[in-house]
Amino acid sequence: MNRLNNLPTLRINPSEKRTLKYKGQTYQGVSGDTVATALFANGVRVYARSLKYHRPRGLYSLDGECSNTCMEVDGIPNVRTENTLLKDGVTVKEQNVVGSADLDMMGFMDKLDWMMPAGFYYKTLHKPAWIWPLAMKQVRKTAGLGAITPDFRIKGRYEDIYPKADVCVIGGGAAGMTAALAAAESGRRVILLEARPWLGGCFDYRSAPYEDGRPLFERARELAVQVREAPNIRVFTHAPVIGVYNNNLITAFQVGGPKDSFTERYIQIRATGLVVATGCIERPLLFENNERPGVMQVGCAHRLARTYGLLPGTQAVFSVGHDLGLEAAIDLFDLGLKISCVADIREDGQNPELLLGLKERKIAFLRGWVATDAEGGKSIKKAHLSTVDGTISKSYDCDVLVASAGLTPVTGPVTLAQGKTAYDHHTGCFLVTETPKGMHVAGRMTGRNHPRSIEASGRLAGLQAVADCGLDRAADIDAAEKTLAMLPGPERGTKLVTAPIKGRKTFICFDEDTTIKNIKQAIEMGFDVPELIKRFTSAGTGPGQGGIPGHNLPLYVAKYEALDTKPPKPTTVRVPLTPTLIATYAGANHDMHKRTPAHHIQKAAGGVFRRIGVWRRARYFSSDFTCREEILNVRNNVGMLDASTLGKFRVHGPDALKALQRVYVSDIAKLKEGRVKYSAMCNDDGCVIDDGVIVKKGENDYYLTTSTARAGATAEWFRYHTRYEGWDFAVVNLTDAMGVVNISGPNARKVLEKVVDADISNEAFSFSGYREFTVAGAVPVRAMRLGFVGELSYELHVGASCMPALWKIIQEAGKEFGIQPFGVEAQNVLRMEKCHIILGQESEQRTNLLDVGLGFLWDRKKTDAKTVGAVALKQTEGDTGRLTLVGFQMEDSARAPRDGSIIVDNRVRGYVCTARRSFSLNEAVGMALVDSQLSDIGTRLEIFEDECNGQRLYCKVVPRPFYDPEGKRMKM
Amino acid sequence: MSLTLTCPICGKRNGYEFRYGGEDKGPRPAEEGLSPRSWCEYVHMNKCVAGVQKEWWFHRDGCGTWFTTHRNTLTNLEVEEPEATS
Repeated sequence: MNRLNNLPTLRINPSEKRTLKYKGQTYQGVSGDTVATALFANGVRVYARSLKYHRPRGLYSLDGECSNTCMEVDGIPNVRTENTLLKDGVTVKEQNVVGSADLDMMGFMDKLDWMMPAGFYYKTLHKPAWIWPLAMKQVRKTAGLGAITPDFRIKGRYEDIYPKADVCVIGGGAAGMTAALAAAESGRRVILLEARPWLGGCFDYRSAPYEDGRPLFERARELAVQVREAPNIRVFTHAPVIGVYNNNLITAFQVGGPKDSFTERYIQIRATGLVVATGCIERPLLFENNERPGVMQVGCAHRLARTYGLLPGTQAVFSVGHDLGLEAAIDLFDLGLKISCVADIREDGQNPELLLGLKERKIAFLRGWVATDAEGGKSIKKAHLSTVDGTISKSYDCDVLVASAGLTPVTGPVTLAQGKTAYDHHTGCFLVTETPKGMHVAGRMTGRNHPRSIEASGRLAGLQAVADCGLDRAADIDAAEKTLAMLPGPERGTKLVTAPIKGRKTFICFDEDTTIKNIKQAIEMGFDVPELIKRFTSAGTGPGQGGIPGHNLPLYVAKYEALDTKPPKPTTVRVPLTPTLIATYAGANHDMHKRTPAHHIQKAAGGVFRRIGVWRRARYFSSDFTCREEILNVRNNVGMLDASTLGKFRVHGPDALKALQRVYVSDIAKLKEGRVKYSAMCNDDGCVIDDGVIVKKGENDYYLTTSTARAGATAEWFRYHTRYEGWDFAVVNLTDAMGVVNISGPNARKVLEKVVDADISNEAFSFSGYREFTVAGAVPVRAMRLGFVGELSYELHVGASCMPALWKIIQEAGKEFGIQPFGVEAQNVLRMEKCHIILGQESEQRTNLLDVGLGFLWDRKKTDAKTVGAVALKQTEGDTGRLTLVGFQMEDSARAPRDGSIIVDNRVRGYVCTARRSFSLNEAVGMALVDSQLSDIGTRLEIFEDECNGQRLYCKVVPRPFYDPEGKRMKM
Repeated sequence: MSLTLTCPICGKRNGYEFRYGGEDKGPRPAEEGLSPRSWCEYVHMNKCVAGVQKEWWFHRDGCGTWFTTHRNTLTNLEVEEPEATS
């Protein structure tokens, strides 16, 4: 197809060729083309088939307001090809067709519309009940849009940015640009968002004269240059808005160009002042077969020629209701389109200059006429017109029918942020009547169409928005208001809702194949509110986000119900205003994690790392994930573990003890210096949330540890539960400032003795003791004797920067004793054999202190401390039927159930927390939370494992702990 | 997500930085004589005001302060402390 290659308005570069693959053939497009216009240039007129009836669909709005041109592009389904710039070498496929879009074997569905009245889903296909699963499969096969394969992985780079602006302007048309320039005058930071890849809005493609006689597109380009040159305006083009929220939070996404580092990026803007200048889309004209390929809106036909250099057809009929339609007819005629006639819904009120223009070109002009049918198959052959009252009719041969009822303001960004709209009888539109604080509207969405009025309203809104930032612009605002008042105001709009037709094939919503007839049926059934009719008929729930039915549906409902007392009420607009890729929301997807100070040493030692909470930790030190060697080396010899992820805190200040008494269930006042106390924290329901040890370093000066998972919330927890008290204490988070080496095993003392200057014999440094000494004469450590893994064990806390040195010193000293590092999994098995619990593993949200057998930690006497959880523990103490922690031994000693398997009899009675085959005991053992009735020693439990195929596992409840029940080994 | 809050130390910040701490219900009651019902009411029952309420917030991704502020639950906007009504 020959392009109009020399128009000054073009947004394509005809000399830069682009190719695309479609139906096995290679087609040519040019740089600047959308996928849809490139296909159009190659003669494609049918892009897709519709959802239900498989009707052929073609270019209609060229702005993504319907799914007509949704196709699969490079494997991504439902791409709005009319909004998607053509990249070289893309592959394009049709969707929802059997065969091709041109010859769809499912085309017969169009004849079956009588079988599918509004809401037929709700009424049929479900009685008897067994019908539905079968019917569902068939429905899914025939109806729908694109499909995606489950293993599809999107290509490209997705980013996210969070800029802050004093003033944000949505819409880069004349009003938006003027607003941005006015706001930028005061030097404030302005962000301008434009959905199309260029600035210009409705001026961009029009050659109608601006006030000084220059064409509008020149004015648009002049404004665009000013905007680009303003240093404090940041422009995002090709950046459609997703949502607007109160407090002026704006979300959008930007499509990256060839020079950008991103494919798409999510943008979240916080602005003080906001100008919405989103302009208008067109209100579709309702007549029979109003979506047949070849029927298109005024803007579509006009922009196709002016922006992309493509004439929409050869012989056209226009059926319009707005001066923009007359302007387009004249312009397209001059560009070479033959026009049979221009029918205008309006009897009068047209711009006389435009009428003169039509007359000069000898284009037949019909006042008060409207299209009633587009006859044809996959393209139009004939347009049938009639007078608005339907009494007289005529037909014209044509291949294009340019049809539009009028304009519709794009108020979505306003109503999303709780702004209000109301039906305006003068314009026939829903106009904004109320905006939230800090939001202003401008441009065509206010009903103004005169170019000077559009700009003046933009300037006013820009000044008002910058005044929201605290600047005194009262004088300028006053002047701008006066200027605007002198200029032409909103124009009278057409009220016509439908052409005089029956409406069996008059589509009010293209995406969902909803006809006027369906709406009538819904109203007859008693649905009276557009919002409910939308739900029942699904009109406006498709990918076009209500762009097509948004305005017509409430008008039609109001007209059909003929209630003059109720003004038409539009349906609710919701986010996303523009369909957005999930990849764009996901953004760059950083894997943010923390590394311990011994990370690299462990890596070099063969550590296999896993994500655990916010950390990456060495989970294994060999490819044997049962950790046999690691475990046995700790049990029989000595091992070392990096425990740096423990939460570590200093709590000090005059009221430190009071704070500890509040959050810990034990009586911390009894703790002596030089000793370590194990205790736990509960929440106000008595459910246990954390355990750890506390060391008293001095009067009201404590050092404590928390579990890895709770480290982040501990300071918050202390302060929350003391927030009314005004106590004087500080919580210092030392988690990242300290590293921890744990040396465990019967030879642990021998290793440590070699490198310390202190007496660490069992008498001088006994179990639960705390000492401070120096390792290798240089590294000061805080040492605790604990027994989490059930062996003689020293936990050395050291400044993070000394951690690598300490690790090496211990490893060197331990060489002669065969010291080996062990990972988190080995520790997990070791402590499980000893029945030492890990909260979150042996507990869940409902598990309280007593359920896990830690009741001995709770001191009931310190009621004055108002300990968190104490009240609930007291009140639930006698409760029966709770899940209780038990130890169990498998009947088959070689087979441990998977963690999380459920305990069953004829119903679920609990679940397995941790279970492993124990090399120390030669048994398979574990811990489970079970109904307290099943917790007696000797009870046989039945375990249901995922995918067990009916094969249950059996175990019996045994006393805890399994390993070293007297606890001699950790005290030796 | 559009909420902003004014931290007494850091000033007006994005709502994402804070953790909600519930309605302001006053200090913990004394443990003596608490019935399960009265305790449960203190811990779990909320007024759920449709309008302005006083509530606790924690500046988690900031200075780590717990503070109270007033928020209109209908608009999800922080508001000035309302004048005391008799």
